Amino acid sequence: MSTDYGHTAKSGASLDHHDSHPHGHAPSYLHDGYGWRSWLFTVDHKRIGIMYLVMILAFFLVGGVLAGLVRFNLVSPTGALVDNDTYNKLFTAHGVVMLFFVLIPSIPGVMGNFFVPIMIGAKDMAFPKLNLASWYVWMAGSGFAVWAILAGGIDTGWTLYPPYSSRSSHSNVVPGAMGVFVAGFSSIMTGLNIIITVHRMRAPGMTWGRLPLFIWATYATSLIQVLATPVLAIAVFLLMIETATGWTGNPVGIFDPAIGGDPILFQHLFWFYSHPAVYIMILPGMGVISEILTCFSRKNIFGYQAIAWSSVGIAVVGFIVWAHHMFVAGISYYAALLFSLLSMLVAVPSAIKVFNWTSTLYRGSITFQAPMVFALGFMVLFTIGGVTGLFLATLGTDIHLHDTYFVVAHFHFVMVGGMVLAFMAALHFWWPKMTGVMYSDFWSRTAAITIIIGYILTFMPQFYLGYHGMPRRYPNYPPEFRVFNVLSTAGYTVQLAGFLMSASYLLVSLFNGKKAGPNPWGATGLEWAIPSPPITHNFDKTPVVVAAPYEYSLNLTQTGEKADVR
Amino acid sequence: MSARVGALCGHFEDIEQQRGAERLGMWMFLATEILFFAGVFLAYTVYRLWYPKDFAAVSSLLNVTIAGINSVFLLTSSMTITFAIRACQTGNNAALRKLLLATALLGAAFMALKAYEYATDYHEGLVPWSNNFGHETLHGHDKPMLDVWEHDGVSPDRVKIFLFFYYSMTGIHGIHLIIGIGVVLYLYVRAVRKTLTPDKYVALETTSLYWHLVDAIWLFIMPLLYLAGPHTVHQLGF
Amino acid sequence: MILQTTIFPEQATEMAWHIDLLFWFITIVTTAVSLGIYAAVFGFCVVYRRKEGEAVQTPRIVGSHRLELLWTIAPLAVFLVMFAWGAWVYNMAMHAPDDVPEVYVVGKQWMWKVQYPGGQRVILGANSADYAKDIGGEAQFEGVMVLPVGKPVKVIVTSEDVIHDFGIPAFRSKIDAVPGRYVTTWYKPTKTGEYHIFCDQYCGTNHSLMVGKVRVVEQAEYEAWLEGTYKTGPGKNSVDGSLAHQGRQLFMKLNCIQCHNGEAPRAPLLEDVHKSLRPFKGGTTAFADENYLRESIRKPRAKVREGWDPIMPAYGTTGDNALSEDDLVKVIAYIKSLRKGETPNLTQNWVPPIGSDTGPAAEDAKTPAGPKSAAEEKK
Repeated sequence: MSTDYGHTAKSGASLDHHDSHPHGHAPSYLHDGYGWRSWLFTVDHKRIGIMYLVMILAFFLVGGVLAGLVRFNLVSPTGALVDNDTYNKLFTAHGVVMLFFVLIPSIPGVMGNFFVPIMIGAKDMAFPKLNLASWYVWMAGSGFAVWAILAGGIDTGWTLYPPYSSRSSHSNVVPGAMGVFVAGFSSIMTGLNIIITVHRMRAPGMTWGRLPLFIWATYATSLIQVLATPVLAIAVFLLMIETATGWTGNPVGIFDPAIGGDPILFQHLFWFYSHPAVYIMILPGMGVISEILTCFSRKNIFGYQAIAWSSVGIAVVGFIVWAHHMFVAGISYYAALLFSLLSMLVAVPSAIKVFNWTSTLYRGSITFQAPMVFALGFMVLFTIGGVTGLFLATLGTDIHLHDTYFVVAHFHFVMVGGMVLAFMAALHFWWPKMTGVMYSDFWSRTAAITIIIGYILTFMPQFYLGYHGMPRRYPNYPPEFRVFNVLSTAGYTVQLAGFLMSASYLLVSLFNGKKAGPNPWGATGLEWAIPSPPITHNFDKTPVVVAAPYEYSLNLTQTGEKADVR
Repeated sequence: MSARVGALCGHFEDIEQQRGAERLGMWMFLATEILFFAGVFLAYTVYRLWYPKDFAAVSSLLNVTIAGINSVFLLTSSMTITFAIRACQTGNNAALRKLLLATALLGAAFMALKAYEYATDYHEGLVPWSNNFGHETLHGHDKPMLDVWEHDGVSPDRVKIFLFFYYSMTGIHGIHLIIGIGVVLYLYVRAVRKTLTPDKYVALETTSLYWHLVDAIWLFIMPLLYLAGPHTVHQLGF
Repeated sequence: MILQTTIFPEQATEMAWHIDLLFWFITIVTTAVSLGIYAAVFGFCVVYRRKEGEAVQTPRIVGSHRLELLWTIAPLAVFLVMFAWGAWVYNMAMHAPDDVPEVYVVGKQWMWKVQYPGGQRVILGANSADYAKDIGGEAQFEGVMVLPVGKPVKVIVTSEDVIHDFGIPAFRSKIDAVPGRYVTTWYKPTKTGEYHIFCDQYCGTNHSLMVGKVRVVEQAEYEAWLEGTYKTGPGKNSVDGSLAHQGRQLFMKLNCIQCHNGEAPRAPLLEDVHKSLRPFKGGTTAFADENYLRESIRKPRAKVREGWDPIMPAYGTTGDNALSEDDLVKVIAYIKSLRKGETPNLTQNWVPPIGSDTGPAAEDAKTPAGPKSAAEEKK
């Protein structure tokens, strides 16, 4: 397989009037100003994307360490590492960090910020200062979360249910909740920016029907971010006030049953956001998969309209299924019927995507570099994650599986097997564009396979545990569940090896990597028509779009040049 | 913003694109605010449907006069900020400054009256997490409110829930208003420095959209909270 | 004894079999489809992998309306079957048959207090951290809830503090225990044995120690256990130790009888209240279930019966007229059992239960005082 990364080939790089060596031409965004001030006060969406990337990786490391502590504690039925109270704080921190500080900002904050303007032919996001502000707000939110952790932790679970959180926990609920509250504003700002950018800043010829599917996916994600996050904000805000009144000695709260409040109301408000939130987490990943499968099979996407509309469909229907998290919480039978039915509807667009992606591979010309291995891993693991959701949407089986390890396995399949793999795929796909260098082909594929195998070993046993009734959030469990817990922990170590491998070769590439040309993968999007790394203003001249995305079969990029097919 | 051509920021192709983006951005932001308040409005509505008698009883104790005056303040300020846009567009800097200042002052007057109202609420024993909750005898009654409620079959717990909503809804609204006053004052400073030129009126337009939303939210909060129960002549006095 | 785990967990109720059937239906269907997808994906990857030196030319296939329709409608149809089947099973699982014995379960951090209609009490959980050392063995307070095989039982669950969940995997049952309300579920155990009870909603430090066992036994052994745990006499309302009788005791002791009597009534008679429609002042009505009874006792002024005054004092969890969750359950059991003509006379004394200490409490009952209101107390 050819490993010439297109440094010498000029086809398909019509907008590449500057190579990555700045000899009197505009410098790349990485070299346009040095020093910490030029980064921390930047308004360049690409630099902001890199800042998000650095912090996402840092938080992923923290969340991963917390996961390790949780898994290693579970090696023994009586708790191998820590006491129950500490365990409860560990899994809470793991959830909060992974959800609010890794998954939700991951692809929108990194690849969204970096590539949405470029892929539509714009010079920057609509509101560059708002973009920078979103990063700082996110950091502020993480400051609160770190404070909560350092002050002794919060032990309510990431779901913060009252009355436990407001009246019984006595842990750092307010700073923890404040971290979630503030981070939510960052999510809203990023989403708003992306929506306006896609609406108003498309280059001439970039019609809605010619948008790459990554843009459709990120756009749908942004709609959810903007409309759902405020409801989490108010739920958490009301919870914080309720908790704080407890400090006065005269506790008052609208979720407090002691005075006629309803704790189920909190669950409704919370899940009204948190269900769409899971679609915030997965939709951008689905967009990435569309980009990668087409490029590495050199074929059009099968069913562009279907995939684009299914992204919007998931976003819309995702808003009306929230109470499927509450089937045994005490909602009425008729409410349960309605939400189960609607949950079945939201499963359909995801299924459509999987079938379309599979069909894209048909009669393609397929190569298996790291982005493709991750994308194929996504196909396998996301499918399992998606179908196991059906067990939970079905009322009868949910009674048995609710709040067991089956649920834990299901959501990790979609979030880690789905989203994290998609993030890794995106990172590996766009790494040469962002950094200008290429990483080791061998080690990247090895790491991908290692992560996938480790993942399966970690989470498949958990389906068994859940079906047999092992509840979640249990540091102590009956001894007959031990074998599967140990298997699961073993899988964690394999995953850890894979991620460390990735971190290593990616880091090495920054120092030793081969320089990458503008289009090492021979892809058709606008981002591959500019230098690697791009100049600050992305394009010298506004590009004119003449073709739909993914015209690999016609050997055509979106600007009408030859795609660099090798 | 980089590379200015008049009011145009460098990453936009032309001024129309920029203005379109700014307006759409503000409307999207307003959508998020509406959803934010919708959550607490929904919660309030649920409890009001469950406990109508208790909510009506405590709503009658709120100072509807202050609420009315505050509503006038906000409605007037919406008018002044709208006229300010016109003043900006026509280059009438004197009128622009006066109108912006008036808007900010009306907003501040609202907050001042609100602070006063909160203080009287405290003295009247209407703060649910304070120790003197319900211990005051209020106008029109001859015994402490806790006894009045006991007699009328009103549950003090449900009164506390209402008051929780009262403070959180008016409190969040107040925070939004303070932020709005801050932005208007910032625009006033720019008007004084003559950097708020006719071609930059869109900044004022988007600010006014936010201001109108805060006003509109008040127009929902006020009847929901203050007019949930009957008011008598007794509450007209301060 | 707790059986060894195998591929299939224990099926100990009728519902378990229904839920398992549905579970395996979904498993088989989804596994088949997933394997089909994997076969296609990996098949294509093998067949269409790029070969060395080969020119890269792929056909321009953009989609197929027919296929889109097919794989929209077919999955939807399958999902709707799952939905319908699941809804039918859920309906069975959540709606108890009528006239089934009721066991009350009160959860609190970190134990379950189970009260049988006959007055027997079992405490599950309350496992100390020491339990962690001998998990699976006989830990300190790990009680066992005993149920007869082949007989349906309804479980009415509430919580004293935070949200818990009473879950029995072998029964395929779980229901959240929410403070401030009663929720019900039911089982009909079909297989003798001992099964885990777990708390299935995170509730704090010892959430994982709030566990116990349910032992399903033959009828004879069940009756022997009932007798051994707490001896009762025949019938209800007579001198026996049942939950309803204990509620009757409380009804007299807490002076409910002073208003809710037939001779000088200041409040409605509570005969045949359960599952009736109650009309209120202001024209509304409500269906009298456990939650209504609970509210009427905890917050009586919330709904006042048409034709009566709002004079009933509140019986909260603290202060004067304190009534704990455990005792409230007894009063409710009593009211539910009260049939026409069975209201005690005003002069009937509070009779202590079998074997109880007939000390000062009996003296108290001889001079019944009027109900105390908070305002009167202050004077």
